[in-house]
This record gives sequence, structure tokens and C-alpha cells, in this order.
Amino acid sequence: MQIDFKSRELTVKLVYYGPALSGKTTNLQAIHSLVSPETTGRLMTLETRDDRTLFFDLLPLTFDGGAGIQVRFKLFTVPGQVIHNATRRLVLQGADGTAFIADSQISETRSNQQAFLNMQENLRENGIDPATHPIVIQFNKRDLPGVRTDEELERMAKKGREPVFKAVATRGTGVIETFLGLTERTWRQLEERHQLHEKFGLDPEVFLRGVRSRLGIPEAAA
Amino acid sequence: MNDAARTSGIDLAFGDVSGLDEVVDREALRDVCRSFFDLFGISIRVFSGNGALLADAHEELAIHTYLRTLPGGRRALSESVDAVIRTTPDQPVQLEEISGAVYDVVPLVYQGRRVGRFVLGPYLPAEMKEVPRALLKVDPALDREKVREALASMPRVKRATAERVVAHLRGILDLLVFSSHRAHLTSEMHVVSVRESYRELAEKTARLQTAYDRLRELDKLKSNFLATVSHELRTPLTSIIGYSEMLEAGIAGPLGDEQLDFVQTIHGKGEQLLALITSLLDLSKLEQGVLRIEPQLLDARELLVDLAKTFEPAARKKQVEIRVEAPPNLPRIAADPVRIKQILSNLAENAIKFTPPGGHVVFAANETDLDDDDGGGFGAVLLAAPRRAVAFLVRDTGIGMPREELPKIFDAFYQIDGSSTREHGGTGLGLSIVKRLVDAHDGTIKVDSEPGKGTVFTVTIPEAESG
Repeated sequence: MQIDFKSRELTVKLVYYGPALSGKTTNLQAIHSLVSPETTGRLMTLETRDDRTLFFDLLPLTFDGGAGIQVRFKLFTVPGQVIHNATRRLVLQGADGTAFIADSQISETRSNQQAFLNMQENLRENGIDPATHPIVIQFNKRDLPGVRTDEELERMAKKGREPVFKAVATRGTGVIETFLGLTERTWRQLEERHQLHEKFGLDPEVFLRGVRSRLGIPEAAA
Repeated sequence: MNDAARTSGIDLAFGDVSGLDEVVDREALRDVCRSFFDLFGISIRVFSGNGALLADAHEELAIHTYLRTLPGGRRALSESVDAVIRTTPDQPVQLEEISGAVYDVVPLVYQGRRVGRFVLGPYLPAEMKEVPRALLKVDPALDREKVREALASMPRVKRATAERVVAHLRGILDLLVFSSHRAHLTSEMHVVSVRESYRELAEKTARLQTAYDRLRELDKLKSNFLATVSHELRTPLTSIIGYSEMLEAGIAGPLGDEQLDFVQTIHGKGEQLLALITSLLDLSKLEQGVLRIEPQLLDARELLVDLAKTFEPAARKKQVEIRVEAPPNLPRIAADPVRIKQILSNLAENAIKFTPPGGHVVFAANETDLDDDDGGGFGAVLLAAPRRAVAFLVRDTGIGMPREELPKIFDAFYQIDGSSTREHGGTGLGLSIVKRLVDAHDGTIKVDSEPGKGTVFTVTIPEAESG
């Protein structure tokens, strides 16, 4: 997180992590198309080859934090391919929260696991404690054959402590929910660590309600 | 990973632009504004987030020129222009100046942050019909006719057109900022990625270096161990050989035939063991580089004649003929007599050992050039100037060796197949010791062989330097 007192700006960094081809960029594209232009800027894609991310994608979102403070979210994706580990580690620097995008296909179980362990290692390398870092997990590609059933996912989700979301990013399903889940978790930790409410008058409930309504999510669903 | 070693990418990773001036080339921006002015005839000014004027394309208006000639006009004009320049709005606004002309002040927002603004105008709204009253009252000396004339020459723009022009310019500037920002992030990402990869490689290299140092240390320990053990083994062995020799000689009383046979076996095997231990000791000394070479001037032909004499009995026993082929007047070499004999004896012993009865072994010597085997190239004319040398050849008509085995035969403990040790004896140390001894003399050793036909070893020792 970065705070600019002069321009009363708070910038939060969220990273979309996950194995190759799990749909990280597709998540950002979906958010970009679903959110109104006042909230989001252009989706920036840095260096691709054959439609595969080499560096990162960057999507900016801006919300009114109340109390005259503007809250800017920067959503990054990492390149999923194994060889780009140095880039992944660099992009993960200073992350405030991470959405892990897993591929629901049973055949991808192993690469999901490897990417998750790699994320854990890279968080540590960046001086971030994975145990306290805000993480949400999205099981993407729910529409494909050969995926784990919902019951299975729910059973697995109960074992872990990270919130689990189901999505079909190509259709935009579950994408906003994942982002909101990550935002809430991240914001609660930022509040705990930096007392944003006390110091800057940023009420977490008011702020999160504002974000939800800007994204068109009714209160009850959150 | 410690903090200092880590590549810093945090500023980059937040990927921010704080002002227009950071990402846009001023010269190019000026060109764009100038062509915009040429196209629409409306003045345009672009400011960065910090208020700096980045580009300015305008023409002095006749009304401004006229107003500046009047004290009241000058004051009123500068007040309204100042107000325009000071305005930094969050949303686009329209400001009017004393002449009734308007300015559109439009903020440039990038990724939720105000990075600059542009000011379009002044222009007269097409909808304006009357000369503003405030303008007519600005100075008592004002000439209404001149004012009308000046206003008539000013650009007139419809509200809707102005809005389209603003949107267009905004789009162009946004594209410029976005493209530059992306190019900036990409190049920075390239740099930090390279730095990060370098850091990773450097860490790996350091780990490899540590492992290598450790291995070298272990290798040294091994050599020391070998030296110590060989030395310690030799001491009791000397007693075993000595006492068995005395028993054999009958010093402790006469022995029966069977007893003598046993004692001779003990003595023989003791000697064999001693030879093996001596070889090990030599090898470890050579590996540690502590073997001293004490060179003397030697005659190659004499060495070979001596060698032939030494091996004559063993050869005769195996029905192998020995020949010496060495011309007189060979140059003398500088070599350690003990070590050079060790080299030649070893080769001779092998040659006789592997030559079947009826075959022959040749000890030859000739004068030659000692070439470095680097294949020439860089500075070879200077660096690889040939030296005069004497080549010793030990040629046999023995069983020979397969060509692919030849590069390995100088490795310690190497034997082409394990069975030859049992059949012919030997430790597999001989040739590795020979090679190191030759190296210690600054010489070279080569081997050529053909299975079933025989083998030639060529040892080349440089000529003693004259003077």
C-alpha cells in the first residue's frame, strides 16, 4: 500500500497469481468489461507472445474512499509459465492481497499445487508472510468437462482457511465476487495494520459498501 | 534472500504516473498541439500535474492586442487570464474572460490520478450575439468600433463542436500517456528482470563455487590420507620383508623344502605389496606436487641400452626379442635419472608383459620437435615455437588396445578390463604415474595402438638447454 498525503490518495496492490493458462488475464478482462469506465482505466498488457503473458497485465480501479480520499486499486497478473519465475517474484513485490486463480480441471491439480507452493515461496522471498497475507482462491473454468464437482470443492474449501470462489471468467461469472472477496479481506488487514479508519477517517464498512454498490453487487450477496 | 540483494521493483510494480511531463515528450507534444491549432484555429495550452506549461500553440488575438493599449483593459485582461491559469478543476469547466471569449479547462486523469490539464481557447461561443457590457465599461477611452472589429476576427465555435474538439484532444493525450506509460513499464521491467536473473545466477554461481572449494578440500584430504597411510603401511612391511629374507637365507636355522617355499611366498608377496604402496605414495606425491625432480644431463642411447640389459632376462623367459634402435649423437636431455628410468621401465615392462612369445619389443629414440598440442591459432608463431627434444619409443607386437580406450589409459586405477590385472598383474597405477612423471619433466606422452597388432608409446623429453 502507498499513501500520498499531498494528493490524498491511497494505492492498493492486488495480484492475480496462478498456473499457466488458468485465466488470470481473462479475470482482468472481465472486470474491465463489467465495471463502469469511471471506475476503471484501460487494461494494460505488457509484452505478450502467442497470447501468453510475459510480463504482466495491469488494470487500475478507482473508488471514492470518503473523507476526501481517493482509493486506487492496481490489479496485476503474473506470467504463469514456470520459466518466468523472476518476473513473478518481481510483480508480487509489495502485494497487499493475492487472488489465486486455479484451473478446475482435475488434470490440472498438480500444476495448481505447484503454482500455489511457488506463490508461497515468492511471497516469502519478498518478505511477505504467506500465513497472514490476504489470499482468496478462485476455481475457474467451471464450465469445462472433467472438473471437480461443486460438492467436492465445498468439501475441500472447508479444509482450508482461504475463501473459495467459483468462476467462468470467459463469461464474467464469479469474477466480481472474487475481486470483492479479495478486496474485503485485504481492506480488513490494511485497517488492522494501518488503522485507516482512525487515522484517515476511512470507515471500512462505508468503504466496502461503496465498492459493492459501484460494482453493482447488492448488499445481501456480499 | 536479504533485502539489500533483492532487486527493487516496488515503484515499478505500482506502475504509477504522477505527471504528464514524466511520460510525454515535450517536443512531440508541442508538434501535436501546433497541428491541432492549425486544424481548428483554436489556441491550446497543456500543463503538467505540477503546473508546468508543456506545450503552447496560440496566436495573439486582435482584441487582446487592443485591450492592452488601455490601462483598464490591460488590468481586466490579466485578471481573467490569471484566473484561467490558476484553475485546476476535477471536472471540465468553462471560464469566461472579459472579452466574452471562453476557455475550456479540462483535467487529464490517468488511472484515477490527475496528471495534468489542457486549456482550449479563448474562442467566442457561436451563440454569443452581443458585445458583453462589462467589456464596454472596462476603460473610459474604449473605442466600440475597434472592439467590434477585433471580435469579428475571432474564432467562433458552437458549443457542441467545442465539446467534440475537447473529447478528441482528451483522447489523443490519453493515448499518448497510456502508450508512453506502457513503453516505460516494459523497458523498466526488462531491466529489472535482467537484474533479477543476474542476481539468481550470481547466487547459483556462489553456491557452485562453495561446493567446488569443498570438493577440492576433500581431494586434498584424500591425497594426504593416501600419503600417510602408504607411509605407515611401509614401515611394518619392511620388517616382514626383512625377516622373511633372513629366514630364507637360513640365518635362523635351516628350513625344510616346504618351509622354504612358504617363506619365499611371504617374501615375494611382501615385495609385491611394497611396490604397490610405493606407487601409491608416488602418485599422491605427484598429485600434491611435492615430488622433486633432480635433473641431470643424460644420454638417450645409453638409457635405452641399460633398459634393454635390465629387461633381457624377463624377455628371454617369455621368448620375446628386444631391439634397440637409437642413432649415436642424440642431443642430451635434462632429466631425473631415477624418474626417467621409472618411466621407461614401466613402459618396457608393459610391452613385454602384453607381447606374446615370438614377438618383439623395440626401444627407440630419435630427435624431434616438441609441439604444443593446442592446434595452433592465437599467436602460435610466438607462443608455440617448437623446442628440440628427444622422443623415446617403446613399440611392441602385443595384444594392442581399442582406439576408444586410449584417452583413458593414463587415469589412475584404470585398466581396460579387470581381468587383465589377474592375468598380467599390475595395479592400474603405472601409466598414471608415468604420465605425471613425464609432465613433471615438461614432456609429453602419446600412445598409438591397434588391437592384435601392437602398441607404441612415445615419450618426448625436451633437449637440455645449452649454455
